[in-house]
Amino acid sequence: MSGLLDGIRKTARVLAGVFFLAGGLSGCALIIPQTDALHRTWPADLAEKAEVPGVPFYPQEDYQCGPAALATSLASFKVPVTPDDLVDKVYLPARQGSLQIEMLAGARGYGMVSYELPQSFEAVLREVAAGTPVIVLQDYGVWPLRIWHYAVVAAYDKTKGEVVLRSGMKENLVIPFSVFEYTWKESHYWAMVTVPPDRLPVSAKESDYLNAIVAMERVAKPEAARTAYATFLGRWPDNVTASIGLANAEYALGRVRQAELVLWGAAERHPESVIVLNNLAQTLSDQGRTEEALQVIDRAAEAGGPFAPTVADTRLAILKRLGKSP
Amino acid sequence: MKSAAIKFICRILMVSMILLPFQTVYAGMISTDKVAAASAAQSERAAVLATITRADVSSQMQAQGLDPKLAAERVNAMSDQEVHTLAGKLDSAPAGAKNSGWAWAVVIILAVVIWYNWK
Repeated sequence: MSGLLDGIRKTARVLAGVFFLAGGLSGCALIIPQTDALHRTWPADLAEKAEVPGVPFYPQEDYQCGPAALATSLASFKVPVTPDDLVDKVYLPARQGSLQIEMLAGARGYGMVSYELPQSFEAVLREVAAGTPVIVLQDYGVWPLRIWHYAVVAAYDKTKGEVVLRSGMKENLVIPFSVFEYTWKESHYWAMVTVPPDRLPVSAKESDYLNAIVAMERVAKPEAARTAYATFLGRWPDNVTASIGLANAEYALGRVRQAELVLWGAAERHPESVIVLNNLAQTLSDQGRTEEALQVIDRAAEAGGPFAPTVADTRLAILKRLGKSP
Repeated sequence: MKSAAIKFICRILMVSMILLPFQTVYAGMISTDKVAAASAAQSERAAVLATITRADVSSQMQAQGLDPKLAAERVNAMSDQEVHTLAGKLDSAPAGAKNSGWAWAVVIILAVVIWYNWK
């Protein structure tokens, strides 16, 4: 089976080469615009050659390149996981493959942040240069048929114009930039990374990366969420949602005092945030500082907004503790 | 065929399975994903919709060969936005590794190769 697939891939590569040559006549910017742009102007601050050290290789069993690619990415950050462990997390039996969203979701339970990269060749190269392997979705089919395949970009070399992939049964599949882009662009340049919570992808954008951490927080251990929010705040200290996330993670770890301190900081920067005030009042109340809690929750109650019902509940609980009727 | 009543009970069970064991609720604390979704003004309505969509996607995943517990776990690892994106597209979204059309691809590619070699 894999021999056959390899054969198909070879043919696809030959065809890609033919298209590439044909493209050369009519301007290859149409077929491989990003490779073309990189050839014209290589970004000055991007290394000409890079290899992520210690990217493992898991030869893929039938159809299971999703689990294999995800395991490659996770294990390169020393997460103890094998493709077999991931079959139950990302493999969809009836489709005999893995969906992109599940590839993102599958890493979160391990306390890793999954981040979808911008649709950019340069972004992929920048991650590799920073030491992060990149999972890409390629299409080896010929129009109108598709053969979707996940691979991991582990290295590139500008002078040779090549990228190195962990792919299928090939530990080091070396292909030209042009062919890589040709097979990759059908997925709308889909690429993702999984990073440990104490690390930021180079191409991380504030709102997108925050969503990535919030999604991880649903299923990861609070320690991982705490580290991820703290790392995020190191880069974007003014983000109120991340402060609330950090406080919630501290709270989940039973560190109520720490949560309180984070929320005081957030309340100073964002006095208008009802959520900060509500959660702050709760942490104060939990520590038995009920009078203080009441002052804070009254500020939240005045502000109103979509969380008013929750605020009212919190206020009621605090008043009960004080032995007052509302 | 399943009766409507059984289907209804299944839905209820699915929703409770998704919500009960995984969502840790702390008294009084507003969770981060609610904050992130707060820009959608009616957050309660959004939360109810999200719950229904999760149950839907979960049953769609069961139809793709997963057992109910696994399906619920996997849907739980997705954000609300991801669940929305995936709803109804499980059988058409790209699935890396194989496509039902591969056999045709092989036939066509072989035909092309043979035609080029022997023409």
